[in-house]
Amino acid sequence: MKEFIVHFPVLAVMVLFLGAFLAEIFGFRSRIARRVILLSCVSVSAAMIFALIPAVFLRGEVLTYWMGAWEPAAGYAIGIGYEIDALGLFFALLVVTTFCLSAVYSLRYMERDRHLGHYTTLFLMLCGSVLGLVLTGDIFNLFVMVEIMTFAAVALTAFRGSSHGALEAAFKYLVIGSIGSGMTLSGIALLYLQCHTLNMAQLSAVLSGGLTPASVFALGLMTAGFGVKAFLVPFHTPAADAYTAAPSSVSMVFSGMVNKAGVYGLIRLVYTVFRAMDRESLQITLIVLGTVTMFAGVTMALAQHDFKRLLAFHSISQIGYVITAVSLGTVLGVSGGLFHAMNHTLFKGLLFLCAGAVYYAAGTTDLDRLGGLSKKMPHTTAFFLIGAFSIAGLPPFNGFASKWFIYQAAWSRAVSTGNFFYTVVTVTAVIVSVMTLASFIKVTQAVFFGQLPAQLSQVREVPLTMRIPMAVLSLGCLAGGLFYPFVSETLLAPAAKAVFTPSVYIDAMMGAGTAQAAGVTDAAAAALAVPGTWDPVLWLILLVIVLLAFFLVILTGEKTRGAVLDDGGQEDDGRYATFFGGERALPSHVSGSDLFWGFRKNWDGYFRIAQGLHSGRVNDYASYAVIGAVVLIIVIFLIFGFR
Amino acid sequence: MELILKALGTLFSVLIYPGFLFVSAVGLLLAGFDRKVLARMQKRVGPPLLQPAYDFFKLLGKETLVPSRANKAVFLAAPVIGTASLAVMMLFLPIFGRAPLSLRADLIVILYLLTIPAVALILGGSASGSPFAGIGISREMVVMMAYELPLILVFLAVARKTGGSELCFSLERIVAWQAEHGPLLFHWAMIPAALAMLFVIPAEVGTQPFDAAEAETEICEGPLIEYSGAPLGLFKLNTAIKMFLMTALFCTLFLGGSGVTVTLGPIWLGAALSALLNTLILLALCLAVTLLCMTLVHAVTARLKIEHLFRFYWTVVAGLALISLILVWLGL
Amino acid sequence: MFNKLIADSLSRSPWLYHINTGSCNGCDIELVACLTPRYDAERFGFKLAGSPRHADIVVVSGPITSQSKDRLIRTLEQVPRPFCVVSLGSCPRSGNVFKGSYSVEGPLEKYIHVDVSVAGCTPKPEAIIEGLYQAARILKEKRLAIQQERKEAD
Repeated sequence: MKEFIVHFPVLAVMVLFLGAFLAEIFGFRSRIARRVILLSCVSVSAAMIFALIPAVFLRGEVLTYWMGAWEPAAGYAIGIGYEIDALGLFFALLVVTTFCLSAVYSLRYMERDRHLGHYTTLFLMLCGSVLGLVLTGDIFNLFVMVEIMTFAAVALTAFRGSSHGALEAAFKYLVIGSIGSGMTLSGIALLYLQCHTLNMAQLSAVLSGGLTPASVFALGLMTAGFGVKAFLVPFHTPAADAYTAAPSSVSMVFSGMVNKAGVYGLIRLVYTVFRAMDRESLQITLIVLGTVTMFAGVTMALAQHDFKRLLAFHSISQIGYVITAVSLGTVLGVSGGLFHAMNHTLFKGLLFLCAGAVYYAAGTTDLDRLGGLSKKMPHTTAFFLIGAFSIAGLPPFNGFASKWFIYQAAWSRAVSTGNFFYTVVTVTAVIVSVMTLASFIKVTQAVFFGQLPAQLSQVREVPLTMRIPMAVLSLGCLAGGLFYPFVSETLLAPAAKAVFTPSVYIDAMMGAGTAQAAGVTDAAAAALAVPGTWDPVLWLILLVIVLLAFFLVILTGEKTRGAVLDDGGQEDDGRYATFFGGERALPSHVSGSDLFWGFRKNWDGYFRIAQGLHSGRVNDYASYAVIGAVVLIIVIFLIFGFR
Repeated sequence: MELILKALGTLFSVLIYPGFLFVSAVGLLLAGFDRKVLARMQKRVGPPLLQPAYDFFKLLGKETLVPSRANKAVFLAAPVIGTASLAVMMLFLPIFGRAPLSLRADLIVILYLLTIPAVALILGGSASGSPFAGIGISREMVVMMAYELPLILVFLAVARKTGGSELCFSLERIVAWQAEHGPLLFHWAMIPAALAMLFVIPAEVGTQPFDAAEAETEICEGPLIEYSGAPLGLFKLNTAIKMFLMTALFCTLFLGGSGVTVTLGPIWLGAALSALLNTLILLALCLAVTLLCMTLVHAVTARLKIEHLFRFYWTVVAGLALISLILVWLGL
Repeated sequence: MFNKLIADSLSRSPWLYHINTGSCNGCDIELVACLTPRYDAERFGFKLAGSPRHADIVVVSGPITSQSKDRLIRTLEQVPRPFCVVSLGSCPRSGNVFKGSYSVEGPLEKYIHVDVSVAGCTPKPEAIIEGLYQAARILKEKRLAIQQERKEAD
């Protein structure tokens, strides 16, 4: 078994690509073959990744795998190596969780579409590429995976090509994504030119001699490139369209793992390869990017009229949280960022699946045309509420736990450095959290509560295979919040440690002592300690005690109070009708766009500018991306100097 | 044996003191004082002090109608969960340094726990299916966005003042700091923050002039429009408890200290006496704060429009809190 | 004991919901006058509620015009029990000067049992308060009657 396990990382990726191949050959006609291939590939791949947990997380090993056993010779890594440290495996776990649930969900969700053979192929290629991306130790291999990912994602965006805006969204994604890929590739080429190697561990060792202008340029290019993949502002523009146009099972994959790939690449790049995060000015640059991203995302989300588009902007916003936290450069910050990345995968996946369920049942995700679905779809409503509470950071759900980490990290940076900038970051994060809550209240009111429009009276709850993934994710949201100390000990602390110990990464790949020889020393990273106190389990127990006491009172009081619960009402019975000042209860529903007027009014100017900037023209979007990249590169040059 | 005693102790603290019964009783009493003093300010006799309690018990005896358009589960669960979460929250607030569980949740957690009752109200209103409630929850949410900015600024100012260059969100430590250096209210840099907090309290509780969400004259009490009987009573109780909790939070943050300790007779008697005295002092302070920031403001102002409310909080109140934060940041 | 407390509270905290069924506004302003500092009906716990779901006492003024009849009935249906109906002024009882008009469908008795009737055109605030106070007493009796009913049913 032990000998076999060493092949698991590469096999986990291979299985998915193989599945993609097989699906195209055999899955073209036969639905059963397609489903067998899809489910067996994702489950085998996931099982292999889960099998790596004990070695990496519990025993703290770093696994390496050289393709074709082309191990480094004379200190030079020629072959392609896979290297799985806690950080890579952490993201790999997110990836496999996402695609397994998405695969199960898509069985019924996609049944009304045609060309499902292509869907299966593209889906498996997307999964394989993202998984390969987080496991690989070779930077060119990483680029190849980014490319496969981008093109599979573009094709999946356009999968419902006949629906409104799908092709347009795919085109935008293609253009902006190619700008990102191009920058990444140029960066890699520059690095290869400088260092004569493509292995990330070796790159890290070589680059410890100091950054030449060319490698600084490479850093700038690649930061911008991965920024595009992570959809940071100003590169976020294609995300909204793509997430909206793609089928929900794919949108879930996009927000669950595709933009996490960008986050992973960014972390790997700045922390491991360039080890540039000891410069506070670079930290601040990335924090500014992250903070702007979270703010712009959430405010744009507040202005949306479409369920999925709103979720898309929230994805952008939450990635802003992740980048902000990760860039704080402290163990607490990185752990908080990784925790939020994990939670984002859970709750945003859940929310996209709910949006998909609404689309499956009602045929639209337009907030102004939906309403009152909670009576028809009680389970979906419950799952949605859990997801909404999680993303809005209501205790005791997981979103709160990770946001709480982030606030503490930001604030402790603020007080320890005395820099007011971090205070602004903390306050912005809190305000963004409230706005997130507001926009989910909007969805709750517009979609699930209120009056059911007449044309939706035939809506039914979605099938079981669609509800199971939602249930699993809901449980994850609750468990992650309640048992956050366990999560932070077993998953976050090792992953954060991996971020702060590049020498371990180098030594594992290039042989012990390489790091020391190259002069790479790890800053003494403190162990993960959460300064604040919060005991969600205790809180929940106390809450349950009070609730039980209430129910006791209600049960014993029911007889003696003489007051009854009267809920036998029918729609046409005036006694149970909604109060309209005496008028007959008319069809009326306060829909999404009617809410938060008092807020919108005060932010009129801002919304006019922001909505004007999101013009929908791909020329504009491409120019934002290019200008943003240029500015970022200039800033990075200013930080590191031109020599 | 020890475990049973401990469990009984927890039950006592969560259900009786300082849990549900205590906060309900004090909250209703505070609301009574509020109404009475308001009446006296308007040269009226005013209702009896126990009027809010009468209102609550009356509502228990009324029928509970569930409208046909409502989602029954959410409609009925919302008030219960809102009230329960408030009752639990009191355990995390120290009464002059003494709190059963103040070590288990810090300031940021309190900030988020405070949103649960508001969200419960919003969801309950939303679940009732009435368009009036739809407008009401929209306003409630805007009010929440409005006061959250000043509130977090105030919290950060307090944390910076008491923690210095360390992260200090622990209420216990904030109180301990005040026991040593005197209440924060008497540090002049913190006075704007205290003022801002005084403005936040009525918005959080939802009393006039910041009650746009429940304006009974224009949107028929907004989220509460379809509620009747016991759930309505619970929401009214909710408001009363919030009144106490928010003022108690103010006292903890700005008027904290070690309280008094009585050394009289056996240890348990002294402890009980000092707990009683401390609670009484807290109640007196809460009453004073209630009268200052809710009753007085209520008596002299009319209801603000929702967009004016939002602007007021994000400019004036947040500005006050920001002044404090900057002063504290400069080391004053 | 708990029941007694609830029954007591019912008489001490009656919330009013006011329906105008085509009144000349005379009674309406007198009702509001009861809440002013001079008369201060809040002494007895009276409060104007915004929704019939919150109401304990429904105050009806006006002669019940054809336009307002359906709306009156619908609103009265939505009030949770136990509740009282108080007719304010002469109009709801007799139609007053509007009696015999083609558009008046009174009296109120035709549609619902009236517990207290305050006469006058318009009644004095003192009379209104007296009427409301009596209605509050009746509220308590109604509550006790409901209890009795339930007990017998068990």
